[in-house]
Order: sequence, then C-alpha cells, then structure tokens
Amino acid sequence: MAEPTGEFEQGYTCKEVVELATDFTDGALTASKMARFEMHLNFCDGCFTFVNQIRAAAEVAGQLSEEQIPEDTKAKLLTAFRDWKAE
Amino acid sequence: MATLESRIGATDAGLVERLRNGDEQAFEEAVTRFYPAMIAVARGYVRSRAVAEEVVQETWIGVLRGLGRFEGRSSLRAWVLAIVANVARTHAVREGRSLPFSALGSEEGEPSVEPERFRGPDDPFPGHWKSYPSDWQSLPEEQLLSHETLELARRAIDTLPPTQRAVITLRDVTGCTPDEVCEALGISDGNQRVLLHRARARVRTELERHLDG
Repeated sequence: MAEPTGEFEQGYTCKEVVELATDFTDGALTASKMARFEMHLNFCDGCFTFVNQIRAAAEVAGQLSEEQIPEDTKAKLLTAFRDWKAE
Repeated sequence: MATLESRIGATDAGLVERLRNGDEQAFEEAVTRFYPAMIAVARGYVRSRAVAEEVVQETWIGVLRGLGRFEGRSSLRAWVLAIVANVARTHAVREGRSLPFSALGSEEGEPSVEPERFRGPDDPFPGHWKSYPSDWQSLPEEQLLSHETLELARRAIDTLPPTQRAVITLRDVTGCTPDEVCEALGISDGNQRVLLHRARARVRTELERHLDG
C-alpha cells in the first residue's frame, strides 16, 4: 500500500482522526479543527474510508426496526388514561 | 407571547391539545410513537427489562398529570424523555445503583480503533494506518443492509454499556436530535457525542469483522 505522503505532518494523525469522526459528521468541530480534519481527509484514503464506515454504522443502526410497545403495556396505559380522564 | 404551536410545531401542539382534551386515540398514538425512545432512556438507568417497562408506565401517569403545565420549551418528545429519565433515576437509586450518566467524563474511554491498526512511535509515520480500512461504498446495498448485517448491529448495540446503548438508540435508531438527547439525559452536548461515537465505533468494528471477514 502507498506510504503516507507526509503532507499532513502538521495535522492530525489517523489515530486522532478516528476519534473525531462523529464530531466531524455532526458538524461539531471548531473552525480550526475542521480545517485540520478536512486537510487530513484530503490526503488520507484510510481516514476518508473510516469516516464513511462510521456513517455506514449510523445508517445500519437507522435501519433497525424500533422496539414496539408490548400489547399489555399499551392496555395498562389505556386503563390509566381512562382513570386520568375520569378524575 | 409565543404560542405552543410556534414553539414546538403544529404536529406536537395538536397532539398536546388532543391529549389535554382526553382524546384516547391521541394517547394511543403518543404512547406508540414515543415508546422506542422511552424504553431506550429507561434501560440506560435500570437493570431489568421489567423495571424499565414499569418506568415507562409510571412516566405516562406523570406526563398526564403534568400536561397542563407543558409549555413547549423543548419538543414534546424531549419533555417526555426527561420525565422518563427522572422516574428511572428514582428507580435506580431505590435499586442502590449509581447514576450512570452522572459519572461521565471520569472514565477512560476505549480507543475507537484497536491501537495495533496504527504505526508505532518508531515508524517514520507514527499514528498512521498500517493498512487502510476497506471501502464499503463499493459493496452492494443489499449486503450492507442485509438481514444478517442488521442482526449483527443489533447484537452489537445490545451488548454496549447502557449509557452508550441509550445514546446510539436515541440518536441513530429512533432519530432524536442531539438537543433532545442532552435534555432527556441531562448531559452536555460533548458527552452525548462521545457516547455516540464510542457506540458507533463498536458497531463499525463488528461490521468490519463481518464484512471483511
């Protein structure tokens, strides 16, 4: 595989970038950190891919079906609602 | 004065109005819609499933009683979730448990990626990848979102520490905003993001083992 080009020597290491991926996707980095982060991504295929993998993990989680309310919980709640209404 | 509608939007304001009027169908809609996020918050605090279920039920009693005082300073969901968290805290204290979300920041986080994946201090490029992760964008969508992959992600989330599980479920599974999560769990924006990132990183690692394996 290709050697890192050295262009990002003043910037983040990959090890640092992987910890900031969600800050990046959430748009929560400060302007100067964002500049360093984006600079790194421009030169580093590995981290570019990693950020996409974190996005993919979020997307997969988003496809999980949500937990449905159990029928007996719903029934108990409806009873409580009728009691509340009658108060 | 700002109306409820201008604060929380027509959908939520309409629902609040119908609930206040005792509309049973509105109540059924609300309990169904908020359940996934409510149970996620409850399970962040209490150990057992059954207790979490009780917490949700108790919360609705509190919600109904407090409905008259709801002013829409946060979304209806965030308000309901904050009540769940409150009820769950009471249960956790009764169970003699420490409050999981108040101890944040003191714990050492696991790294998002195994340290062995990066070059060591003696390498000319310390802290850089030894070999790059593989590109999943070239995978067919059916593989990334296959039943098998989803089951794997679900298991990964189920086995997370409760605080991380709560945050990833709220943010990524049920689609809560960062504000709703902070409001509900009483944590800072930074803390919710750290928990979310650790959780996503674990899911990513599991996916990588499966997809690249």
